[in-house]
Amino acid sequence: MFVLPPPPRYPAGPYPGTPGGGPLIETNNTVTRPTDNSNQLVVGEGTYVLRDDLYLATPPPHPSEAPVHNPNPLATTIAPPSAGTKLSLVALSPAQPSQPRLYRLDTANSSGLPPSIQESPHEWNSQASDAGSHSAGGLTRSAQGSQTPAFGEGNPSLSLPNGKESKDPLKKRKPKSSIVKSNSSFVSRVIPHESLSKRLQEHDPKGFFAFANVNRALQWLDLSMTNKDEHLTKVLFTKAHALCHDVNQVTKGPTHIDVILGFSTGDIIWYEPMSQKYARINKNGNINRTPVSDIKWLPNSENLFIASHADGALVVYDKEKEDAVFVAEDASAPDLPSQNGERKPSLTVRKSVNSRNQKTNPVAYWKVSNSKINAFSFSPDCQHLAVVSEDGSFRIIDYLKEKLLHLFYGYYGGLMCVCWSPDGRYVVTGSQDDLVSIWSLEDSMLVARCQGHNSWVTAVAFDPWRCDERNYRIGSVGEDCQLLLWDFSVGMLHRPRAASVRQRNSITSATLQMARSRTDGSLSRFRSNSNLTTATVDDEVNVHPVDGKARTPFLPPVMSKKVDDHPLSWLAFEEDCIMTACNNGHIKTWDRPKEAAGGEDAPSLTST
Amino acid sequence: MTSFFGRFKAGTSPANPAANAAPLKKDPNAPQPTPLERLLADAGPIRADGSDKFFGFENVIMPGCRSCLRLVYCVLTPYINSIVQSLYYSAPFREHVISYPTRSPPETLQRSVSESAVALPKINTDVPSTNAQNSALSPKGRDSLSLPNAAARRGLLSPPALPTSPGVKPEENKDSPEYKKKAALAAGPVLAMDYENSSAYGMSESLFTSLKDIFEAIIAHKSRIGVVSPNKFLEVLRRENEMFRTPVHHDAHEFLNFLLNQVVEHVEQFPKQRLREAGEGDSGALARAMEQVADATSTSVANNTKWVHDLFEGTLTSETRCLTCEKTSQRDEAFLDLSVDLEQHSSVTSCLRKFSEEEMLCERDKFHCDNCGGLQEAEKRMKVKRLPRILALHLKRFKYIGGDLQRLHKLFHRVVYPYYLRLFNTTEDAEDPDRIYELYAVVVHIGGGPYHGHYVSIIKTQDRGWLLFDDEMVEPVDKSYVRNFFGGENVLACAYVLFYQETTLEAMQKEQEAEALAAEQQASSTAEVPVPATTSEPTATLLKQDVNGTAGVPNGLAHAATPQLDLDSDASSFAVLNHAVTAPPALSTENTNIAATTNQPLDHTHTVSVPVPALSPKKSKHNLSSFHLKKDKSGKSKEEKERKAAEKAAEKERDKEAKRERKEKEREVKESIKRQEEELKMALAASKLSAKTEEESRRREAQSAEKDVSEADPGREKEKENGAGTPTVGTFSKASLGRFGRGSMSFRQKPKFWPGGKEKGGGEEGGAGEDAEHDGEEKEKEKQGKNRFSLGRKKSTFLHMGSSGS
Repeated sequence: MFVLPPPPRYPAGPYPGTPGGGPLIETNNTVTRPTDNSNQLVVGEGTYVLRDDLYLATPPPHPSEAPVHNPNPLATTIAPPSAGTKLSLVALSPAQPSQPRLYRLDTANSSGLPPSIQESPHEWNSQASDAGSHSAGGLTRSAQGSQTPAFGEGNPSLSLPNGKESKDPLKKRKPKSSIVKSNSSFVSRVIPHESLSKRLQEHDPKGFFAFANVNRALQWLDLSMTNKDEHLTKVLFTKAHALCHDVNQVTKGPTHIDVILGFSTGDIIWYEPMSQKYARINKNGNINRTPVSDIKWLPNSENLFIASHADGALVVYDKEKEDAVFVAEDASAPDLPSQNGERKPSLTVRKSVNSRNQKTNPVAYWKVSNSKINAFSFSPDCQHLAVVSEDGSFRIIDYLKEKLLHLFYGYYGGLMCVCWSPDGRYVVTGSQDDLVSIWSLEDSMLVARCQGHNSWVTAVAFDPWRCDERNYRIGSVGEDCQLLLWDFSVGMLHRPRAASVRQRNSITSATLQMARSRTDGSLSRFRSNSNLTTATVDDEVNVHPVDGKARTPFLPPVMSKKVDDHPLSWLAFEEDCIMTACNNGHIKTWDRPKEAAGGEDAPSLTST
Repeated sequence: MTSFFGRFKAGTSPANPAANAAPLKKDPNAPQPTPLERLLADAGPIRADGSDKFFGFENVIMPGCRSCLRLVYCVLTPYINSIVQSLYYSAPFREHVISYPTRSPPETLQRSVSESAVALPKINTDVPSTNAQNSALSPKGRDSLSLPNAAARRGLLSPPALPTSPGVKPEENKDSPEYKKKAALAAGPVLAMDYENSSAYGMSESLFTSLKDIFEAIIAHKSRIGVVSPNKFLEVLRRENEMFRTPVHHDAHEFLNFLLNQVVEHVEQFPKQRLREAGEGDSGALARAMEQVADATSTSVANNTKWVHDLFEGTLTSETRCLTCEKTSQRDEAFLDLSVDLEQHSSVTSCLRKFSEEEMLCERDKFHCDNCGGLQEAEKRMKVKRLPRILALHLKRFKYIGGDLQRLHKLFHRVVYPYYLRLFNTTEDAEDPDRIYELYAVVVHIGGGPYHGHYVSIIKTQDRGWLLFDDEMVEPVDKSYVRNFFGGENVLACAYVLFYQETTLEAMQKEQEAEALAAEQQASSTAEVPVPATTSEPTATLLKQDVNGTAGVPNGLAHAATPQLDLDSDASSFAVLNHAVTAPPALSTENTNIAATTNQPLDHTHTVSVPVPALSPKKSKHNLSSFHLKKDKSGKSKEEKERKAAEKAAEKERDKEAKRERKEKEREVKESIKRQEEELKMALAASKLSAKTEEESRRREAQSAEKDVSEADPGREKEKENGAGTPTVGTFSKASLGRFGRGSMSFRQKPKFWPGGKEKGGGEEGGAGEDAEHDGEEKEKEKQGKNRFSLGRKKSTFLHMGSSGS
């Protein structure tokens, strides 16, 4: 009888998929520019063309971490969490892009937003007439931005960072240690560009700096340069992988950028690339020892940032404070389940921002979810936080009041990413059921499910340049290597007509009203909705059950395209382009259609 | 051969204990417990429902291929092990297997185990009784007592998985799976399932009875861990189906499908068989008694025979819309599992959606429309009409790629699967279309191709978290470990069969809370003893047990009570699921007690009879109370029994008549089916012969010819079925189902080999033609002579619930 030759039990030989140890030598980034225009995204408004593909070299493993070639594919050792490449973009000018950016659509609008995204011609009129009020709204908004109560306002112990005020307000405080000369075992190597200072001088203030993680490296790139593949600085960490990072939009300047990095080991680093200084926070997991899944600066704050940890905790840190071993201040919190094992969904405040003890980190510590928080996002009005986690829950938190307002659930599987619409009226999530879900906050409900991805959705973003009062453009990328674009308009979502034609004095007042109605009026409005079994719901928490698939409209994509060979992990819309990044370090830039960009000043991300 | 064994034994036996003993001797006081033992260290008393038994399965060499012992990697049975283990940990399935037709009283199980031990003294079936004084997990018993026997039997029955040439590293590396497996086998106890208990069940020996034997033995055994050696099961398997005899690497999914079909068949046959026996028996007192038993059982379980269907069966509706006349015809088809095509970088969700995507029937695949009366272009889509309670998803990783039709290739595509799942592709009238499923078992194939490799399973147990079952080895793993098998370019180990089971949102949230608490407690405990930040799994799961309140409760009273508590909570969580479990307790007198308890899987009588290693006073108190309970029950059931007996006598007469009639018809049908099968085989053989002579360039024609044959036959067969009249169709299909089995629903993107012009054969019934088309892929395989499913079974893979052409 013919018997095939016996294979080894755990084949380690040259099979198609032999686990490789990755590159063993340090390689350089490469940038490839397509010679033809075959790589295109065709949408209604025009054709997006691939500008270039920047490939970040995966660093070799640290010598001390020699790749243990384990031939056993069943090895039960737990691999540390890793993340695909994500970017934090920062343009040094304008000084405060985050606020105006929301209303950049006005300029785009005035320069001729093609009517293709309009549902019907008659809406164009209201649109155009709105344009003026938009910019007015933008102005009032920035004025109101200062009216928004700051986080921890009213806590005197918080107002004095470290008890001493900076003498020169213009002189930004830098971290203490030099990362180049560091003898910390946490940082392995720092490779600055040989002509770093020269390149910094040449930098176009409108151009983007980017911070990108790939494997154990963090690269600082200048995307406005032709030689953008040459990193400004590459920091290699010994063991930990940077999973997330963020740039402070308040403190950035020609000589100063505050970057925070969250690591797979739970560590957080405050990094100032211009002076190559750094400081460690939550060192060795002093405060929380679980991986940092997402990290963001608090809006309008110089010092405070929030990190979400894999155990479901949201922790507010101050970049300048020392760590202290964290002991829950409110130990009596009803954290343990009651006898029947049920726990009411709520936000457990382990340490309040109003705590008197603000000499050390953490500033505040909230236990939000039972499972890993995958992502969170600040609302444009800087009052709310949308948090999504691995157990499929999606929460709206009033972080100023430290209160959970809403608890929604995805269809199934974990939710992986979240993002607010520029006007704060909608939140979009991407999840492991391959869906992009659109939630309306005014109605506190799921308004549409977008079906089109063939795998988990890893990043969602609104395109603020293609959003207006009634029409929204969403982009999403997923494990299926696809970029999908979705258009939805208020009318499509079957909302009461009255809601969409309300007087348009300014958006901000609308959002503020909305926010108020959420906090105050929601109780009476959604009381009946909380028919989930967990009836012991806090009076203020609205728990929304899962909607059946028959009850929610499904939305098809307007464009879907496989843009990479690897699962995608990040997506951003910029004024002149769409950018995507994949798990392996490919960063692709897609130029917006020419006709839309025509007549405008030179795009900030020039490839010349 | 014997001398070979002798040498073999001599070679391994001294080496084996040495290898095992050496590390143990280093620390005589505390032999290193395995992670599983650590996990179970604080476990309370053993539960009666078998949910806390963690037995590995020995990787047995098939005796049929002893001849190729030279080849060390010969016929390995992990494909069986992984599937059987996955099924065992489906609580409803396990309950049904052990309680159908009746649950054997544990005493008899104990007896049968010891009997077999007596009959086969060489085989260590049990931990020596001295061990009973210790806890079942006692390391002392583990290494000192059972080791020599186990080692001996290892040498006797099966060669080690690896060559025993000197200096083989995996054997020495304590972290290697090989070492762990050897250790597990040496540690024992080893349940050698080489006896059969089928007569005790009143059934003839079948795959079902040997499966039941295994399940019962595991549950009855006093140890919580051990190794099952499923010899008898393999023997029966080889007898039942020749394809599993051959020494090639087998497909776990095929085995699952075969096993489920076998179980369906035997379970459904059983009442009929009993009835036949009763009918044929003479009027002697013995026969009468038997009749009574048979009758009682058959009526009590009559409604119960469908339990496999209740668990695994779902219904697909295929809608075909003729593009000419716009008429839509619907047909329902039953499935036991779904086979989905894979795409690179996709998700299970997407694969399922693709499964239901519209498909054009055009050109060579035209659809025969009854309305227009001819071959027409049509649109077809399949949707799930009835959702199964256990959704077995087969990821079609083995495929003929490109023009190479000679060999299957393994697809290493990365296909992600979530822990929870709902189905998008349901029909609008589906009941509970938003049912939520939880992933509870993943069968993983490891290897570079379909013709070799290894299977393991990762299974979520009721309250011990996720465990990795790799033949003899059982190891606790982290929940995130489940996600290591998505596949991908550099991943040899890929998920191959996914088991999702029905659950509720509440259960899901409860579990998530428990997990969070466990993690938190672990974090706080590690805060005192600084440990690297990575969560150490065993502790985590351990703590979870604490959280669940099932184990680790230090006081004895709580111990005695916890199992029931836990079972109750379990019962509530399965309350939705267990429709069929409760059955009228009416059996013959000596069985009354058992009858009262049999179909109540949660009854603690079994706890009582399971010998507990060390009877603490509190423990016995508990026993007593349980006995009281039992007596009460038996008293009540006696009264009831008398009343029921009278009813039954009348009912029996009627039933017998009806059943006899049915039986006659059944036989007729079976005979006709047999005839057809023979015809089919002949036709197939002919076509194969012709196919062989054909040139490679004419392959397509050969295929079409074969397809023609294959499609003609189900058509004829269906005519017969339908000819019997609509009202009886149900019965017949049920009867014939057993024979034909029910396939998995597999889908091709496009039916490529559909000869448009040769539709005549199946022309009468469009549906039959479609059947053949769905099976096209399987047929391709068959044609390659790869010993996929026998054609006879595949022929009518689908159950035709009826077709409406309107």
